[in-house]
Amino acid sequence: MSENRYWKSVEERDSSLPRAGRSESEAPVALPIDRRGFLKASGFTVAGTLLVGCSRKPVEKAIPYLVQPEEIVPGRATWYASTCGGCAAGCGALVKCRDGRPIKLEGNRDHPFSQGGLCAVGQASLLGLYDSQRFSGPQLAGRQSGWDEVDQAVTGRIAEVTASKGRVRLLTDTVTSPTEQRLIDRFLRQFSDAKHVVYDPLSSSAILDAHQTTHGLRVLPRYRFGRADVIVSFGADFLGTWISPVEFTTDYRSGRNLDGDSPRLSFHAQLESRMSLTGSNADLRVILDPAEEGLALGRLAEKVAELAGTAYPGFAGTSSSVLEEATLDDLAERLWQARGRSLVVSASQSSRQQVLVNYLNQLLGAYGATIDLERPSMQRQGNDIALAELADELARGSVDLLLIQGVNPVYDLPLPGLAKAVEEAPFVVSFAASLDETAARADAICPEPHFLEAWGDCEAVAGVVSIAQPAIRPLRDTRSMMESLSVWLGEPKSALDLIQECWLEEILPRTSALSFRSFWDHTVRDGSALIAAEALEVSPFVISAVEPLGSVGQDEHFTLELYPTIGLLDGRHAHNPWLQELPDPVTKVTWDNYASLSPVAAADLGVGESDVVRLEVPGEQSFELPVYVQPGQHDRVVAVALGYGRLGTDRFHTAGPKWLQSKPTVDAGATVGVNAAPWTTLGKEGRGYRRSGVKVIPTGRTYDLASTQTYHFLSVPEKLAPTDGQDRPIIQEAVLEEYLEDRSAGAPHLHHFESDLWGEHEFDVHHWAMAIDLSACTGCAACVVSCQAENNVPVVGKDEVERRREMHWIRIDRYYRGDPTAPDTVHQPMMCHHCDNAPCETVCPVIATLHSSEGLNMQIYNRCVGTRYCANNCPYKVRRFNWFDYAHDDKLENLMLNPDVTVRDRGVMEKCSLCVQRIQEGKIVAISEGREVADGEIQTACQQSCPAQAIVFGDLVDPESRVSKIFGDPRHYVIFEELNVRPSVGYLRLVRNRPAITAGHVTEEQEDSHHG
Amino acid sequence: MNNRITTLILTVALVFGLFALVPKLAGVRLPGNQQGYEPKQPIAYSHRLHAGELGIDCQYCHSGAKRSRHAGIPAASVCMNCHRFVAAPRSAVRAEELLAEEEGRQPGKVVSPEIAKIYTALGLGEDLLPDPNLTQQPIEWIRIHKLPDFAMFDHRPHLYAGIDCQKCHGPVETMESVRQVKTLSMGWCVNCHRDPYEAGIVLDKPQASIDCSSCHF
Repeated sequence: MSENRYWKSVEERDSSLPRAGRSESEAPVALPIDRRGFLKASGFTVAGTLLVGCSRKPVEKAIPYLVQPEEIVPGRATWYASTCGGCAAGCGALVKCRDGRPIKLEGNRDHPFSQGGLCAVGQASLLGLYDSQRFSGPQLAGRQSGWDEVDQAVTGRIAEVTASKGRVRLLTDTVTSPTEQRLIDRFLRQFSDAKHVVYDPLSSSAILDAHQTTHGLRVLPRYRFGRADVIVSFGADFLGTWISPVEFTTDYRSGRNLDGDSPRLSFHAQLESRMSLTGSNADLRVILDPAEEGLALGRLAEKVAELAGTAYPGFAGTSSSVLEEATLDDLAERLWQARGRSLVVSASQSSRQQVLVNYLNQLLGAYGATIDLERPSMQRQGNDIALAELADELARGSVDLLLIQGVNPVYDLPLPGLAKAVEEAPFVVSFAASLDETAARADAICPEPHFLEAWGDCEAVAGVVSIAQPAIRPLRDTRSMMESLSVWLGEPKSALDLIQECWLEEILPRTSALSFRSFWDHTVRDGSALIAAEALEVSPFVISAVEPLGSVGQDEHFTLELYPTIGLLDGRHAHNPWLQELPDPVTKVTWDNYASLSPVAAADLGVGESDVVRLEVPGEQSFELPVYVQPGQHDRVVAVALGYGRLGTDRFHTAGPKWLQSKPTVDAGATVGVNAAPWTTLGKEGRGYRRSGVKVIPTGRTYDLASTQTYHFLSVPEKLAPTDGQDRPIIQEAVLEEYLEDRSAGAPHLHHFESDLWGEHEFDVHHWAMAIDLSACTGCAACVVSCQAENNVPVVGKDEVERRREMHWIRIDRYYRGDPTAPDTVHQPMMCHHCDNAPCETVCPVIATLHSSEGLNMQIYNRCVGTRYCANNCPYKVRRFNWFDYAHDDKLENLMLNPDVTVRDRGVMEKCSLCVQRIQEGKIVAISEGREVADGEIQTACQQSCPAQAIVFGDLVDPESRVSKIFGDPRHYVIFEELNVRPSVGYLRLVRNRPAITAGHVTEEQEDSHHG
Repeated sequence: MNNRITTLILTVALVFGLFALVPKLAGVRLPGNQQGYEPKQPIAYSHRLHAGELGIDCQYCHSGAKRSRHAGIPAASVCMNCHRFVAAPRSAVRAEELLAEEEGRQPGKVVSPEIAKIYTALGLGEDLLPDPNLTQQPIEWIRIHKLPDFAMFDHRPHLYAGIDCQKCHGPVETMESVRQVKTLSMGWCVNCHRDPYEAGIVLDKPQASIDCSSCHF
């Protein structure tokens, strides 16, 4: 077996394992139907069709506005600039509204840091607006109530607390809104003992604490990955879930740009113990024992200090057992050579390690270069020490008034007594929008609106202010926290008034704008504005704070790593079916969390995928989870995702179609996945996401995971293999060194087709095509959700995913290569390739799929009879069949459907259309303006939201278009060239910044040849 | 043997029956074809009067046609642009004036019952100003020209190609109540798309496409 072979799962790599077979054919099981059954079924079908045909068309009403708002033209989309509220990162978003309803979120290209990208969570947060389970109005003592009653109760309590000089605590997640902060300060000022406690469920508190130690300022710096030529990350999943992934991905991409004459590819090393999305993109990935993270950091610091000619304040002591000395030397050398252009980041929650990171960055001159302290990030402000104090106070029952906004402490804090403490606290106010574990125990619930329904503001990075504007009239009787606070302060004002007041007094003086009106109007139109950042007083680097770090004691047990997933993050989006069904970018599992084990660890334990294991932590409740075998993970690590097991996720019991053999996505009364948050730690050191001494015990039971990784297997049948004996891999890659010498490095020897059964295709007006840069794509899955929103792609539920019937039009194939214990990873977005010589078109008996004059492979739903021949004949496996009428019974959710795209019926095939509705719109706009379509004017949904700008769409007829140029790039290749299908979708070869062939591969291949 | 004879007789009867039906089949419309559909609308609005006699441009009311997929049905506020001042046909106003003169009194205000429906919908009082005590009630027109959900028709390119509204909607300016004149079937669309010149397109380079994805996506 060649070590250069790519594989999707361990089972596939080692084909003796049982599961590999199931990926081969389009229909995994033969239909249990006999001739009589078939005849009966077809008879009923014919009769049914006739009956349907006989029915009269229902009378349809057309109800126009009485007074049509000036900006609304029925049928035309209006776009509003806003700020995404999916997480605290505060990316710029554009809201597409049709007839007064937001139907799509997209990135705002004018936004200073997100620059047009929007992640999967941001895209999917639209669905939260139409969530029918949001609170319909305020609640008091668990009962529906009115605002007057609630206000009366709260102000009554406030008066009592003020009189008794009681203790008031406001618990929120990071507050990036200047107005909200102002209101909070004003509100808390009236009490003698009031405190605003901020915590981030996904904490970065240690970084802030470390800067307090080393710089005298509790601040989260802004990391500028784009300015770095060498990036060393210790477990920070900055492309996936860490702090501000869209910003970091956009920035990272700008430092890894192979376009043009002077290609630049930063070197990225990731040292981590589990396979993160960021790690899967690294040029060098080192699998690190979590116990040795501090040690490795210390050794690296020592080596860099040596190169810098200064004395390392502490001696690291014992040498690392896993990390080779040569690797560390190489990293130190690279970092030092690129000083001023290098960056070290760590996601560690140990402030001692973070101090060491700061020391390294200080040595490397990163501050002021790749680390921005002048415009620091405000995206994480949590203080875990303060949180621990509050937990103590709550446990003692000494908080008289507790207000909770944006967080769900009963769910995500590892404090078993907290639920009871909150329940028993004298008065708890929750601002939750829908029922969660904490709100269920609150006395008063003052639901906040969705961010698309209300005015809001945000300063996510110092000096970058943005506005969130309402795009729809509130669907529920809600009130934002600032409005509630202003009511309780006795001066009720609307959110808009409050924000304008704050901006007039606090934001305007930081600008050079002449009038508030014009500044405000411009900011609302653009969505954001760059203003001066408040000057921070940074004290000189305190070197004495640096302490030596050694290895933490090890035992034979496992270390548990708790991590957020791309979709659910800390669990706040667990009620979002799009995110639940989004395959994890690395494991490709949907609808569940699981215990990831390395192949070696799984073999040692004698477990395989889907076997349930029990995780036991001494002195804590044990949990049972199915195993997922994850190549590239440390053998002593078991990784479990946070964010699952949320209250009320049994709502997905009804997700997906009902039929004889269907199984519910989740059992009634159960939750999707298991809540792993009780295993996190909260103590004097702050929040921790790691536990050592965890026992993993096989239970002998099994539980099926719905993973899409072995589905849609791309292969060339032997009969059709190229005659020249050359293999044309699906993934093509090269290393930077080779690429700089030869831009077509990594290409197989090309075979030119001399004879062609197909005639030449002529495209006169347009020939739409797409190119995807594999060097840029990080696999973040923003495109998958963007496509789902744009094209009305249904959610099918776990059982259907298990039956390989997921409906996503674009998927991201994740391939591994090489050693299963430490593989290379490639992410390859895959959608309909719109082949000129399309194999699907020739087999359709009813011509429901055929070619357009503009190079599109069209799928005509009303003509399709559902033979599925096309899907079987598609070499890219991108066609999706509607086995059912997927649920569209949630009237509220249906408001979000894109009216420009047909909602498909049962029994028809569907697939990527290259967003033909956008192409049509673009062409019509051009016609109405009497001009040609400009290059880049039409963007597909996947392209628009891609934070890495990996996707380019355009017209091949125009030789000057970007996509034409890319198609002429020597790095460009198409998959299955040997089949002569002539796809309109091509890829740009992956280029890694690493030495020509990694040492490991050479030796293994040599060994192979010796044996052979 | 008996069975076979019965089958034979039935088959022959079926064939004859079908032949007998053929002439009548011509009058049967395929499902979905609403040609000739002329429902009663909530307001007896006359296109003959407005578009024909008064010569108001189609796009004065259906202003979406050049800006959007849908031509749109005008909002009641658009009606009010004129009907704030015109509450009844001139003949009715004249009659009232004559009657008042005869009876020796000031002529009263004449409001046509159909136009009054607009005022009711908008919740306007006697003085034609919004009356807070009245509720607004949108007018529920019956939709006539309707394509299936999987056909995406856009007015804009047709308008910019210089096609008259009447080409597809028939002589609306002569209709007292609107009727669907054409079949609006796919064949009818495609025939025109195949040969735009035939349809009287005035552009130099008519770009009528017969790609399925022009309409189906």
